[in-house]
Order: sequence, then C-alpha cells, then structure tokens
Amino acid sequence: MKIVARCILDNIFTALTWAVVFIIVILLLMILGPILSRGTKAVVFRDTLEFRKMQLALFNRGNEAKLSAEISAIIPIRQKIYDTIDKFKSGIDTESLTEQVRKIYRNCGQELSYKELRPQQYTETRSLLKEIRDRLQTAFASTDKTQIAECIGFVMGYANDERFKGTSAWDFFRIAADFQKAAEKIDLAKHRQYVQAVGEMEDLLIQLLGPRPGGASPATAMNQFGATRWDLAEKLMDKLLWKEQWVLQQEGESLVKNRTERAKDCAGTEIEPLFDYIKNNLENMLKPKWQFYWQYFIDDSTPGHYFGGIGPEILGTLLLTLLSMLFVIPLGIISAAYLAECASDNLAVRIIRMCINSLAGVPSIIFGLFGLAFFVLFLLPFLGCSPKPCILTASLTLTILTLPVMIRASEEAIKAVPFTYKEASLALGASQFKTFISVTLPAAIPGILTGIILSLSRVAGETAPILFTGAVALGPLPSSIFHTTRTLSYGSYDMAVGDRLSAMVPHNQYGMVATLVILVLCLNTAAIIFRSKLFKKLHGH
Amino acid sequence: MNYSKTNQGFSPTADIKHQPLVLNYRQGLGNFLSLHIGRAILFIITCTSVLSVLLIFFFIIRESLPFLQKFSLTEFLTNTGWYPQAENPQFGALALIVGSFYVTVAALLFSVPMGILAAVFLSDIVSFKIQTVIKPVIELLAAIPSVAYGFFAIMVLAPWMQRKLGFTTGVNALNASFVLAVMALPTIVSVAQDSISAVGRELREASYGLGATRMETIFKVVIPASHSGIIAAIILGMMRAVGETMVVWMASGNASQIPHPWWNLSQSIRTMTATIAGDMGETAKGSDHYRALFTIGLLLLVTTLCMNVLSEYFLARSVKKSGASK
Repeated sequence: MKIVARCILDNIFTALTWAVVFIIVILLLMILGPILSRGTKAVVFRDTLEFRKMQLALFNRGNEAKLSAEISAIIPIRQKIYDTIDKFKSGIDTESLTEQVRKIYRNCGQELSYKELRPQQYTETRSLLKEIRDRLQTAFASTDKTQIAECIGFVMGYANDERFKGTSAWDFFRIAADFQKAAEKIDLAKHRQYVQAVGEMEDLLIQLLGPRPGGASPATAMNQFGATRWDLAEKLMDKLLWKEQWVLQQEGESLVKNRTERAKDCAGTEIEPLFDYIKNNLENMLKPKWQFYWQYFIDDSTPGHYFGGIGPEILGTLLLTLLSMLFVIPLGIISAAYLAECASDNLAVRIIRMCINSLAGVPSIIFGLFGLAFFVLFLLPFLGCSPKPCILTASLTLTILTLPVMIRASEEAIKAVPFTYKEASLALGASQFKTFISVTLPAAIPGILTGIILSLSRVAGETAPILFTGAVALGPLPSSIFHTTRTLSYGSYDMAVGDRLSAMVPHNQYGMVATLVILVLCLNTAAIIFRSKLFKKLHGH
Repeated sequence: MNYSKTNQGFSPTADIKHQPLVLNYRQGLGNFLSLHIGRAILFIITCTSVLSVLLIFFFIIRESLPFLQKFSLTEFLTNTGWYPQAENPQFGALALIVGSFYVTVAALLFSVPMGILAAVFLSDIVSFKIQTVIKPVIELLAAIPSVAYGFFAIMVLAPWMQRKLGFTTGVNALNASFVLAVMALPTIVSVAQDSISAVGRELREASYGLGATRMETIFKVVIPASHSGIIAAIILGMMRAVGETMVVWMASGNASQIPHPWWNLSQSIRTMTATIAGDMGETAKGSDHYRALFTIGLLLLVTTLCMNVLSEYFLARSVKKSGASK
C-alpha cells in the first residue's frame, strides 16, 4: 500500500514538473503572442483611400492620376451625405440661423443706406426689416408650430415686395422657406438633441472620411486625412452607429456602459436613413485594399508617431549597436584572449575576473547613471565638447554594459579549441602569438561570433542605460555621433507610456515593440543555432 | 592558463642543452620582446573591465557624496517621505527601498518554485532531445528586451487586471512582480539546472538502488547535494529583479508608498530603479535631488555587488562540491 502511495506521489511530481514547463512555454507565447500578432498589423493591413492619399501627400508615393480618378468616383457618394446634413442643419441649428439672420440684417441695413431713398421711406423699410428679423428670431426660438407658421407666414408675405428686390434681404426669405420646410417635419422640442447629434456625427465623419472637400485644409497632418486603415474605419463606424455612455443605474453602484443607437436620437428625420446609407456605402467610399506596407521600416513618422513608420528608430538602433560593437569587439576578444591564453591563476587575474563578474551584475540603470556622470558630464567637457547626451556617450555606456557578455562568450570559445591544434602549431615552430592569430582564433571564430550576436541583441534591447545618455523619443535624424537619436527600445517605452497621440494608433505602438522583439529574437535564434553547430563540430557528432 | 603550464612542462629547452631552438639572437630577442610586451599590452587592455568597475564606483560615489554630507544617512534610510520637488524637500527612501524589496520577494515567491521544478525537469525527467527543445525556449524568455516585458505589462496585463480582477488600477505591485517573476525565471532555471546536473550520477544511482522513487531521490539527495548552486541561482534571480528598471517603471504605478495592509499587492508602489529612471529627466544637474538619485544608485550598486559576491561564493562552493564528488 505504501509503495502505491509513493508511486502515485512520484507520478504527481513528474506531472507537476511537466505542468511547470508547460506553463513557462505558455507564458512565452502569451507574452509574444499579442505583441507579434498586433505588431504585424502595422505592416500588413487593409488600407483605405485616405491611406493612399496620405502616402501621396506625405511620402510622395503612389499613382497620382489613378488616385484622383478614384477620389472623383466617390465624391458623389460623399456629397450626398454632406447635402443631407446641410439641409437638415438649416432647419434645426437655430443658433447659427439666428446668427445668419443678424448678419443679413446688418448687410441689408448698409445696402439700404446706399440706396437713394427718401428719409421716411428709409425709416419704414428699416423698421420692416427689423420686424422681419425679430419675427424670424421668434420663430427660431419657438417650439410651438402654430407660432412658427404665423411668424413665417408674416415674413413670407413680403417675399415679393419691390423694396427688397436685389438686396440681401432675399436671403431672409430663402432661410424662412427652408426653415418652414424643415420645421414641418421635425419635433421641435428635440431640436437641441438634434443639434448635438448632428454635431457629433459631423465630427465623426471628419475622422472617418477626412475633412470636407472644398473647406480649408487643417494645419496638422493628422487632421488632414480620415481613417487610413479599415480596422480604424470600422471602429469609427461603430462609434458613429452606437453612442456609448457611462450611466449610473443605481445609487452607490459603479457606472455601467450603455450603448444606444444614434439613429434613434434622430428618429423620424432625414438624418435617420443617413446612418444606414453611410454604413452601406462605407466600403465604396473608402475602397479598402490589402496592403503590405514594407515602407513602415524606412519611413519617418509624422506627427509624433501617428502616420508613417519607424525608419529613424531602426537607424538609431543600428547606429548605436554598430558603434558600441566597434568598441566592444576588440576589447572583448583581446580580454578573452588574455584570460584564456596568457593568464595564470594569480591575484591580478582573480581581481580581473571578479570585476568582470561584478560588471555583469550591475543593474542597467546604474550604467545609465554612470554614463551620465562620466561620459556626458566629465568626458565630453574634458574632450572639449559640450556636455550633452549623444550617440557616442550612449554607445560607450552600452559598450561597458555588454563587455562581460562578450568576454565570457569569447573566452569560452577560445578555451573550447582543442589543445591538439595549438600543439601542432607550436611544434611547427610558430610563436605563441602566431599560433593564436593563425590557429586558435580562426578555430574559435564561430564561438566568438555567437558572443558578438548575443551582445548585439543585448545592446539593441537595452533602454535604461540610454535614458540619460543619448536617446530621445522624437527628433530629427542625427547628422553626427554628437547628436541624440531615436531608438526602438526607448521609442517602445515612450509610445506605451508617454505619448498620448500614439495611444490613438495602437498598431504603431505594437509595431514598434514587435520590430524590436523580432530583431532581438532573430539575433538570439541565430546565436543558438550557431552554438549548437559549433558544439556538434567540436564534439565530432 | 592550462596551456602555459603544459607548455613549460613539455618545453624542449628544459632538457636539451647543446643547441637552443632559437636560430639567431635577433629572432630570439624579437620573440622574447613580442611575447612579453604583447602580454603587457594584452594585460592593460584586459584591465578595462577593472577600470570600468572602479570608474563606476568612483563617479557614483563622487556624485552622491555631497548629498550624504548635507543630509543624514539614517534619515535617508528611515524616512518614508520622498518629496524632492517640495518647498522643504524630503529625501526619505524607505518607501522606495521597501518597494524594491516588495516586488522582488513577490516575484521570487512565484519564480523560485517554478524555476527549480523546471530545472529538475530539464536535468532529471526528460530525455536529452526534449531538453534541447525546451532550453532554447527558456533562453528566448531571457532574450526578450525588458522594455518589451514592460510594454506587455502596461498594454496587455494592466487592462486585463483592471477588467477581470476588478483592481482600481492595472499598474500595481502584482503586475510588476508577475512580469519580474517571468524575467527572473530563465536565470534561475539555467543556473539551478547546471548545479543539479553537476550532482554525480553515483549519488542518484545509490539512491535508486536503495529503492527510492525519483521524487524522493530528487528531494532527499539531488537538491540537498546541489543546494549551494540553487542558492546561487536564487540570488542571481533576485539580482535580476532588484536591478530591473523598465518593467517596474512602467508597471508598478510609481506611487511612493508602502502598501497598507502589507499583503495588498493590488496597490501601486515605487522602486529605487524606477525612481532613478523617472526623476533623473526632470532634475537640474548638481541639485540635491540629482545627488539623492545618485545616492539611491549607490545603495543599489552596493546591494547588487554584495549579492554578486554572495552568489559567487555559493557557485564556487557548488563547483568544489561537485568536483569532490567525482
């Protein structure tokens, strides 16, 4: 019996370890999954007409003639929406109508004073104009249909009056007629609600379709175009159809999200069918198309990270890594060669080894502090430069950070070279130096390469050391190594935390971090493959 | 070093007296000089690492010394108020120290059992073939940049926690500790696995021979025999968690407070590393605040170096032990 219990326990334990490893693999997938899958959307996605417009305007890419043909094909569809809205607004937006009427009255008064009229006639006409204006304003402010009919009727009575011919007073009658038509159809008590609904709809339409043709072009690039991606357009469409509100249902409870149809707000008006019209024609208006936007990796971004790609970030990361590799490869290989070939086990070597180990254990943020205190605030003034963070200081800081990785990997590689190789070379009369250069080093190259790749990936991924020593979130392309640069790692941080603009473009947030992760993982996979090949070679499998 | 000893042992000049292998004087001198001068140059270059460590210490201490002269160290270590920008600035780092300690311990509670079990799995339970598949997976976990972990914490985990667990904020101690635990896992697994694998086959076979099951062997023989290495693994994992910046900066909420009640992980906290990273951008160089941040850095540096020495001690002990058992 006891044996059975022990066996069961043993099996449970085995299952437990399997479960743990399974959980670790799941964790890896859970972390990489969302980052990579959502990051891909930055490159492969369904674009819209607005995207192609943006590409042409900002990056001068695409066929202009074809694009303008496409745009002119959809103008009638869009125009119908705008016409309906304008017509509807002329009946309900009483504030702007009142404003318009006042303006007409002022213009008309001026026109009258230029006409050669007798004083009495002038005063009469003037007071009539005032009367008309007041009546119209009463009609706009009123919610009573009979009162409106009365007021408008009064105004329209003067529609054919000789005195107003050729003056801007004609606009009075046009507005009055429009308003009368509109007022017959809608529930006037709700006109405030209508005004709000139409205002929101217009805002969303600008986000969805871009600014109205013919209007003034907005100053910032992000307002010049509508939804550039189909998924974004669908989200906006959803927002257009459904109104989300946080409602307090019961006292003391937390707010509940409530979705209501916007069309219901405008029930019974000309706007109501417009929602269906937009929904049915959205595809015709935006012409979504699958796009492989490989230029994401070379494009600059504007404004902030809203449009465009991550070209400057990739360039900055490459610059930083290459520059620090320039320092760390010779330093690392020479140190490793000394430790593996020349050093005996004395105190000095022990201290060196201890320091390398300590260096590997120092937290990355301390390297950042050190880089700031030493390279930026001490070394640069010492060399006669202004103490500003720049690419050089950042890459020097990263050099020190990655030195232990490089030394350890290279030392292992050099030590792994079979002793017989060296003996053969020495027996042929080669000096130790010659042996190292022409025998040991070539044999150790794959292992050293592994070390280089590992340090590359470490340098590319580090953020904390370059926070104060040369990375910026946004800025121009660096023109020399004495300028700051954008990097993938700092950009990922900034887009996730600091930048409010980029919160509106989640695909770009994920795209940046996914690029970084893919870069680092590719480097690491290469290192793993290299190492296993080397292992097989040296062990003769 | 192995090589140089052996070389002397086999050196032909030791026995053969009549004709040195050196052909002429000039060549001999050249060889001699190139050997020794070359060695000296190599030695000097190798000392870069030593120099770096010394410089790091020197500059961190240099920047933090004025702070320690102006403010008392005990107040720095025991006051919980961190108000560097206030009119009467207070530099009490206790809440930050506790914050670092807090996330580290919480992360280790999760990652140590998992790490050791995974190490046992890799060394004792599965075949070499599966091992070669699983090990790279764990290495990839170590390779993911810390900013990507932070991104995951703030963009994926935080909203999820807020939605599903009903926390008031998604960026809190639990979020940071969880992600730190995942980050510390690979270190713990690989170091622990090395030391568990280093326990000799004879010990295991003796245990099996006495009729112990695999679980009993692992718990009563293998783990006790490799405890030094496992302790070293835990310390190394701890160092990773203490020194991590980006994840805690992004995911811990950065509220300088000690959680109350103390087990409440759903509150925001602030760690030493996150304070340095977050505050350094907005301080004037040379101000008290700037120097206070360097003092936190010094504290962090000393802590991690002590931990490093400890881990090396344990690692050395485990190597010695496994060497003796062979």
